[in-house]
Amino acid sequence: MHAAQVGAVADGAPSVFTGGANLVAVIVLLLEFGMFRQALLRDQVRLYAAQSSAVCALTVIVAAARHLPELYLLAALSAALKVVAVPAVLRRVLRGTQHEIAGSGALSLASTVLLAIAVAAFGFFAVGRLGIQGPALPKTALGVAIAVVLVAFVLMIVRRDVVSQSVGFFSLENGVSLAALVVAAQMPLILAVAFLFDLLVAVVVFGVLIRFHHGRAESLSTAELTSLRG
Amino acid sequence: MSAALPIPAIQVLQVLTVACASPGVSGSIAKVEARLQGRRGPRIRQPYFDLAKLCRKEALAPEGASWFFLAAPLVAVTCYLTVPLLIPVLTSYPLPLGYMGDILGGGFILSLASFVVAVAALETGSPYAQMGSSRAKTFGAITEPVVLFVVFTVALVTGTDLPYALAATVRSSASQIIRPAHLLAAAALFMVILSETGRIPVETHTGTNEFGMIEEARLFEHSGPYFALLKLGSAMKQLILFIILGNVFIAPWGLAATTRPADVALAIVALLAKAAGIGIVVAVIDNSFAKLRLFKITEFAAGAFLLAVLGVFTLYLGGG
Repeated sequence: MHAAQVGAVADGAPSVFTGGANLVAVIVLLLEFGMFRQALLRDQVRLYAAQSSAVCALTVIVAAARHLPELYLLAALSAALKVVAVPAVLRRVLRGTQHEIAGSGALSLASTVLLAIAVAAFGFFAVGRLGIQGPALPKTALGVAIAVVLVAFVLMIVRRDVVSQSVGFFSLENGVSLAALVVAAQMPLILAVAFLFDLLVAVVVFGVLIRFHHGRAESLSTAELTSLRG
Repeated sequence: MSAALPIPAIQVLQVLTVACASPGVSGSIAKVEARLQGRRGPRIRQPYFDLAKLCRKEALAPEGASWFFLAAPLVAVTCYLTVPLLIPVLTSYPLPLGYMGDILGGGFILSLASFVVAVAALETGSPYAQMGSSRAKTFGAITEPVVLFVVFTVALVTGTDLPYALAATVRSSASQIIRPAHLLAAAALFMVILSETGRIPVETHTGTNEFGMIEEARLFEHSGPYFALLKLGSAMKQLILFIILGNVFIAPWGLAATTRPADVALAIVALLAKAAGIGIVVAVIDNSFAKLRLFKITEFAAGAFLLAVLGVFTLYLGGG
């Protein structure tokens, strides 16, 4: 009699597609959290590349499951840009600066993670209340995407070096493209590509900023900016 | 084929399997670890010989220690012998005493055992044993929220927190396995298990440096058969946690669905194979990471907490 009871209580799990898509979205969020842990700047760039490839993988999954062929093109373009080009540019900039280790954050790692969990929870439940339902992906993925954006903000606020902050900004863009995938998967390709080129502009700006800051302060830490220069 | 085994016999068999196989599981992990380091390593049966040797030695208690010091190992082992009654060790169908307690109940019994050992360590007055028990309790308090959130995940997925129910749910379809909440909870539980069994990155299992010790240091003052009981207890605790991870979360397959002796025997073999598999993963982690500094253990716990909390969040949003 117990066995029957046990079988009956299992409530409806999401379908395999929904579960898998949510899983990839959660992996994107976990990689964002992984950036808190990473002290080596090179590894942080590597994490960004991994996160971008997770977003591209999700794009391909949506394209295959929802029969949206133009998303394949978008996935290929963003993979070329975000997995290959942007990390390469960042690595090149880093090679010029001779710095390897990010400065410690403003908070300890455990407190940062707890803070980020609270912020992510806010994002999750705020979006949950909105009740937005995308045609292509479940709304959990939207909550995760907003959480990625907010956690990227925490990363940019807590870390005190230029590279972490720019990686935080780029990963914020990953969160935004994840959200775009949920809300507007059928967005015209030209618009999606235009957003990608926005990222290129940001990369150029941040590249110049890192170079310039390093040239003036001989370090990548933004803590130097608090002292006045006469 | 042959007649069915009586249900109480299977229940006793669950306890006996855990009690008899656990030193072997520890031994095989030590063997794999040694092979990965290029050493030949001890025999897999070595822990049994160690226990036999300890049982022949005389038992001493430090001066001033009360009766509790000698009673603690007995109480601890009794606790570890109780938990296998509650979890699916060999059978996929719930045994009569399996409904005595849920996952939290099992967790309480495990913590009672660890509490008794910690109190016994305080009785000794030895600084290392006291340091070990203080650390074990501190880090236990940090990992406790993770366990709670894992239980919440289970409760949200199944509507109950009986281990048998979760195992049945996981077996029911592929969509139950791939859902993020389940995977996140399993990963968080695995991290808790690493910390609870005193494995790298939290603690060196085979180290002799007292300052790095957490769990191991508590047993310093025990000797003879009592020490053997505690050793057996920590091996049993490890196997019990492996069983909860394997038979409830990751791979609840290969359990006996009937009471036939052949099925039950097959379940024992499958159980040992699963425990060895998890043990190999643990040994690989042991060899590929460095031990965390004591004050960095909170970061490890924060990581596990993150996984468990995200599991609950995704469930609340309805998509987990």
